[in-house]
Amino acid sequence: MKPGRNYPFAAIVGQDRMKLGLILNVINPTLSGVLIRGEKGTAKSTAVRSLAEILPRIEVVKDCLFQLAPGENIQLCRECTNAECREQVLHGSPEIIRREIRVIELPVGATEDRVVGTLDLEQALKKGEKRFEPGILAAAHRGILYVDEVNLLDDHVVDVLLDSAAMGVCTVEREGVSFSHPARFTLVGTMNPEEGELRPQLLDRFGLCVNIASLQQVQDRVAIMARRAAFEADPQKFCRDWEGESQRLVENIVQAMARYPQVTIDRKLLWEIASYCLDVGVDGHRGDIIILKTAKTLAAYQERTAVNKNDIDLAAELALPHRIRRQPLQEISLDISEVRHQRKLGSR
Amino acid sequence: MDDDNAKTGVISRKVYPFAAIVGQEEMKLALILNAIDPRVGGVLIRGEKGTAKSTGVRGLAALLPEIKVVAGCRFRCDPEAPEDYCRDCRGQPPQNGGVTSRVKFVDLPLNATEDMVLGGIDFEAAVKQGTRQFQPGLLAKANRGILYIDEVNLLDDHLVDIILDTAASGVNVVEREGISFQHPARLILVGTMNPEEGDLRPQLLDRFGLCIEVHGSADLEARVELMQRREDFDTQPEDFSAAYRAENEKIAHQIAQAKKNLPNVRFPKHLRPLISELCLSHKVAGHRADIIIERAALALAAYRGKAEAGMEEIKEVAAMALLHRRRETMPPPPPPPPPEPPLPEPLRDDSPEDDHREEPDRQENQLPEETMPPLPQDREAAANGRDNEVAEHIFEVGTTFKVKRFSQDKDRKLRRGSGRRSRTRTALKQGRYVKSIEHRHGDDLALDATVRAAAPYQHRRRRPDSSLAVHIHPEDVRHKVREKRIGNFLLFIVDASGSMGARGRMAASKGAIMSLLLDAYQKRDRVAMVSFRKREAWVNLPPTSSIEMAGKLLEEMPVGGRTPLSAGLFKGYEILRNYLLKDPASEPIVIVITDGKANIACGESNPVTEALSFARQMTQEERIKFIVVDTEEAGIVSFGLAAELAAALGANYFKIEDLKANELVDVVRRNIS
Repeated sequence: MKPGRNYPFAAIVGQDRMKLGLILNVINPTLSGVLIRGEKGTAKSTAVRSLAEILPRIEVVKDCLFQLAPGENIQLCRECTNAECREQVLHGSPEIIRREIRVIELPVGATEDRVVGTLDLEQALKKGEKRFEPGILAAAHRGILYVDEVNLLDDHVVDVLLDSAAMGVCTVEREGVSFSHPARFTLVGTMNPEEGELRPQLLDRFGLCVNIASLQQVQDRVAIMARRAAFEADPQKFCRDWEGESQRLVENIVQAMARYPQVTIDRKLLWEIASYCLDVGVDGHRGDIIILKTAKTLAAYQERTAVNKNDIDLAAELALPHRIRRQPLQEISLDISEVRHQRKLGSR
Repeated sequence: MDDDNAKTGVISRKVYPFAAIVGQEEMKLALILNAIDPRVGGVLIRGEKGTAKSTGVRGLAALLPEIKVVAGCRFRCDPEAPEDYCRDCRGQPPQNGGVTSRVKFVDLPLNATEDMVLGGIDFEAAVKQGTRQFQPGLLAKANRGILYIDEVNLLDDHLVDIILDTAASGVNVVEREGISFQHPARLILVGTMNPEEGDLRPQLLDRFGLCIEVHGSADLEARVELMQRREDFDTQPEDFSAAYRAENEKIAHQIAQAKKNLPNVRFPKHLRPLISELCLSHKVAGHRADIIIERAALALAAYRGKAEAGMEEIKEVAAMALLHRRRETMPPPPPPPPPEPPLPEPLRDDSPEDDHREEPDRQENQLPEETMPPLPQDREAAANGRDNEVAEHIFEVGTTFKVKRFSQDKDRKLRRGSGRRSRTRTALKQGRYVKSIEHRHGDDLALDATVRAAAPYQHRRRRPDSSLAVHIHPEDVRHKVREKRIGNFLLFIVDASGSMGARGRMAASKGAIMSLLLDAYQKRDRVAMVSFRKREAWVNLPPTSSIEMAGKLLEEMPVGGRTPLSAGLFKGYEILRNYLLKDPASEPIVIVITDGKANIACGESNPVTEALSFARQMTQEERIKFIVVDTEEAGIVSFGLAAELAAALGANYFKIEDLKANELVDVVRRNIS
């Protein structure tokens, strides 16, 4: 790990929902991401950037342009531009390294060709060959793709992002290159709702959604100031001080990942999930599926192997805010159980 | 070619089994019918998010039976159908019976450029061998396979056009970059879309053979089952797929059988008039629907192992073929106005709420005096006094609806900005790369086009002392032309006078404005709002991107008093003038919502004449586009003043009812009996 570069995740004061949403996504990448909505200066970006420090390690072929796991996609390796790596994979054993999952940042001003990849200029001019130069989506495979101010992203970039996020494959058909490579990533976005909302289809791609606000307790605010000042004065020392806390978090995450496959859920509780979604009114079935996954992940994180009712309630609070059918221009609701209560009353 | 198969193989390894999809029977059937007979013309799947649209399509591809292809043919010709051979196979007829291969599933990504879809010059061959060779595009790859476009409504219209054209004719003709080539392109076209993100043009809709709508299930049991299956699949994909293998294979076998039997299935002649009648009664334009119903009915009969198609099959497929082709009937002449015109019920809330009820008791609380801009001039106390006596009302916002598409025309000007309304060329290196041009503008080099342009001359230019493979001369340089959609500036000029309050018209008008705002929201426009009532016009909302704010203001807007139309126009013009000074390339759209019954003038002349002459002056600014929404109720006495105003402004004229987007896709199932 690289101490001293980022503010430690464990040292963030409050904002438990946000931290929980991020941790759940680390434990179970099939939750497909989290959208963090909140005003300026509420540690949104800090949390995501510091996530890198608590991420578990994965096995990757060394220097692989596409972050492939050993033996993941031999066909892709055959067409790979990295000749050295290609030879190693195809003849005998490639070098495997273990490294932390990466957080790749997609800047708001990114152009389409940088996102999906493009024609390799050097190869084209020097050798007269068409080669694919991978873009940000290739780098984000098996990692976390972080979009700050996701609501300000250019529309056509959103389109290509949707395209890849849907199936976990990035297909490129442009500028004379025809290529496709795996791109399964956890999408993490932060946004300030004051600057406009997200498009519905993109909204749906985020598994969870958390709303955060600045803390209202004086002692919390004081704690934030104190910690921040300590961090800025001596980042190395600050991170060392929090090392133990971070380490414990990483261990919890690793254990939860191991426990997840054993988590069971009672069929009665599945009914509860389904009726929850029907009560509040969501489009499609992704809401159900995400609640189920979130509830199981929660149970695993809390060292249990059976899902209980509380898990589902909390999971619904995380998975449904952005999925509830809204009246035009209505704001995203914050309290899901309240919505459920009201809609139930309304239907009577 | 085998490489590509392997590629699809690798990616499709973790495909959710088709047989394991819960419900969505109609979607499954539509896909199967297309698999049996590609001439059914493809299918468009519309539906809200998370309804297994993509899952269904990919699942189908994974279970399709293998086909025979000519060994080594780039277009995967069928060895048993010499009439469909590509140019290569014609020149050199294949010797053996061909090899078996999986059906190709080709993904068309939204980032695709035209040359990659159609095919173009192969620059590797051109540079290395100095020959002009055709490099097949996606349409060639998809020959005899499935071409899948996810989010088809977000794809460039122009690309969708080309693809649908080819799919309909079964041949792809390429004439570009010195290449002239044609090859067979018989493919099953499958598109999925979420209508929330905008719709396809009706012409394009019509090109899809079948169209179905999918919804989430409201059945608890189905939802539970679905959740469980999905979770099982995600945790143990191999075991899960194995459990459904037998069922999947059964479907595959049925499809293969049906394909074989299809030529033997008869279509009874006496059923044809019935199809025509069905199409006629649903006001279907053109004859494509008739043909498609027949083909689909045949395929369905074959699927069910029948020897001939019957009524049952026709009924079943008719809904899918008619859903997207039904034209709205001409609106019936409006009945004499009831005291409160019935509005369509709100979509969700079923509470029988009276949308346009006047709420006199609320007005006092809703309208604190300070929200009203002060009246700067109190010249005519008498008139003011009379105005003040006029009751002010705040009407609720009526039902909203989806509005027609309106935008500024595309031109060659370069703009900056973002949004989704109008197309524009852009000089920033953003936007979709649509094509390349020779002359220079900026430094946005189109490398692919440049290399292609240089390719034919490489043999002559090659020098032994150079390490470069490609020699580019200045005349080869091509630049990218990029295009993107930008939002427009929409100025609403709203009539808030007493006449608008009559008989709930204001509720309907507010509903219309809210719909327009909603549309503006989806298209990322900037908006401003001016309202006029009593003696004056106010800027309720200066230009902003916050549509939420506009919505809130609209809800609170009071109505009452006289109609100073010309003041409203003038105030609007002031805003526009300032806006155009700041952003000269912008092309604002002005939406005037009024019944046109002006009765207060700024000067001495007749209020109506003054407003009209104002309007004519405003049209001198060519960058502005006008839309007039007439709120006058159709009745025995109608003045048609708003129409006159529209004529003076050179505006598009709409009644509130006309604003509604042509609801092409409607639930017809009920009506088909």
